[in-house]
Amino acid sequence: MANFINLILNENMKIYRRIRTWIMFGFILLLPPLVSLAIYLAGGDGISGWSIMMTESYILYSLITIFAVVVAADSVAGEFTWGTIKLLLIRPWSRSTILLSKYLATLLFALFFTAAAFVVTFLSNWLIFGLGDTTLSTSGLSNWEYIIRFYLFQFITLIMIVTFGFTMSSAFRSGGLAIGLSISFLFAGNLITGLFALANKGWVKYVLFMHLDLTNYIDGGSGPIPNHPTTLGFSLAILAVYFVFFNAVSWTVFKKRDVAA
Amino acid sequence: MSQAPVVRLQNVTKVIGKRTIIDRVSFEVRPGEVFGFLGPNGSGKTTTIRMIVGLMGLTAGDIHIADHSIKTEYPRAIVHVGAIVENPEMYKFLTGYQNLLHYARMIPSVTEERIQEVIELVGLQGRIHDKVKKYSLGMRQRLGVAQAIMHRPKLLVLDEPTNGLDPAGIRELRDYLRKLAQDEGTAVLVSSHLLSEMELMCDRVAILQKGQIIDIRSIRGQAAEGENVALEEVQFDVDHPDAALGILEGQGDGRIEGGILTLSSDRKGIAVVNRRLVEAGINVYGIRVKTKSLEDQFLEVTGSETIG
Repeated sequence: MANFINLILNENMKIYRRIRTWIMFGFILLLPPLVSLAIYLAGGDGISGWSIMMTESYILYSLITIFAVVVAADSVAGEFTWGTIKLLLIRPWSRSTILLSKYLATLLFALFFTAAAFVVTFLSNWLIFGLGDTTLSTSGLSNWEYIIRFYLFQFITLIMIVTFGFTMSSAFRSGGLAIGLSISFLFAGNLITGLFALANKGWVKYVLFMHLDLTNYIDGGSGPIPNHPTTLGFSLAILAVYFVFFNAVSWTVFKKRDVAA
Repeated sequence: MSQAPVVRLQNVTKVIGKRTIIDRVSFEVRPGEVFGFLGPNGSGKTTTIRMIVGLMGLTAGDIHIADHSIKTEYPRAIVHVGAIVENPEMYKFLTGYQNLLHYARMIPSVTEERIQEVIELVGLQGRIHDKVKKYSLGMRQRLGVAQAIMHRPKLLVLDEPTNGLDPAGIRELRDYLRKLAQDEGTAVLVSSHLLSEMELMCDRVAILQKGQIIDIRSIRGQAAEGENVALEEVQFDVDHPDAALGILEGQGDGRIEGGILTLSSDRKGIAVVNRRLVEAGINVYGIRVKTKSLEDQFLEVTGSETIG
């Protein structure tokens, strides 16, 4: 059978041959320099580039997550909407392989945008503000270590949200619904974390939403729930369980589904 | 033809909920044969076709393509199939060429040269680098055909292929399918509710009603079988029908319909009648055997029942 890489190339073609993708990319490229410039002109020229980079990275990460969810949602549901799923599935590939290629292409998209965000936020703040001697970490990490951990942890969160979006996309075959649910998942997550953190119950630490923000661990924090300390390993294990569950649902639904549309 | 069938359906059954959509459908299509799948709307044509190409699962029975079961060896079976299921939907934001490239990448045997070859074959070379959203329906059909034949499939499945084509396009498609069947030995399975189309296109036709095959008959076979002893309606165009009827008194069910002498006869009988008429000095301008059109046959078998 032909090379699996070809399937990824196909999915990439369907992502990057759309103008939409490049509009999204434009946001990532333009937002950091514009925001930095605005802060600079508003009289913030004494601030360290590192802190602005952190703030902008936070904002960009919400954007990248939303973009990646849009791509994930379209990846499966779009094929059903366009009717192209019929021509896509009647090829000498199993449905799970086709789904895997879509999933990986979506993650590559997120990785590409993340890398771009990292470079752009760093360069624009370095050029505008310079790297002052601020220390981001409270536990003795260097600024580089801190930022890289931040990106890494945020990417793990992104994988979870995108996986959820992907599952919704294959389950409901509706891009709009998948995007809506994933984004509310992302934002409701923050609210629910806040509420549950107040609840003094042990089971709270098994709730997925509590572990969507891992940045607490960058400086060696004890997790999201004050009275029930958790470790990074614990959070990752919880995420892994939900990750497997979401993917199992996508795969099962996608493999079994009769394509009648 | 004693060649092994390209596709073989055995008691294929599909139950959705409590309804049996397809009920023990069995048939085979041989290499070089154009097989028609005929039925009123809602009879299960499209469902059967979706099961053949693996878009829908089977509740019972099995389908083999080139001796590989689509249930257990799907990739090995489907690699021999090219298909258009309903409308040829393409990625509108890609060019025609990118669409073909997309499907070509999924099948190992398709080379760059082959892509160019099929583009020329379907006559799209002038517009292949335009985005598909700028294509007319006819052009999308051509692109659909191109992706279906690009890997030289042993079985070509076309669901309602003439939908949306103009008469010239239909004719072109028909000629092309026959050529493909004859020259490359491709088995072609087409579904349609357009009887006249099927009559021109197919070697054999299966008539489907309410999910069951109620008849399979050959279309091209009949004329060649020759020594057909069955009586058929024969029309004699003569100058004096009444006199002619008198001469033939006592022979069959001769009658006059619209000024034409009509009777039931077999092949030999036609010659006998003709000789007697000529010997009696009656001019015979034409003899015509009234073959039943597929439409007559179809309505005869399916009756005029409503969609069930």
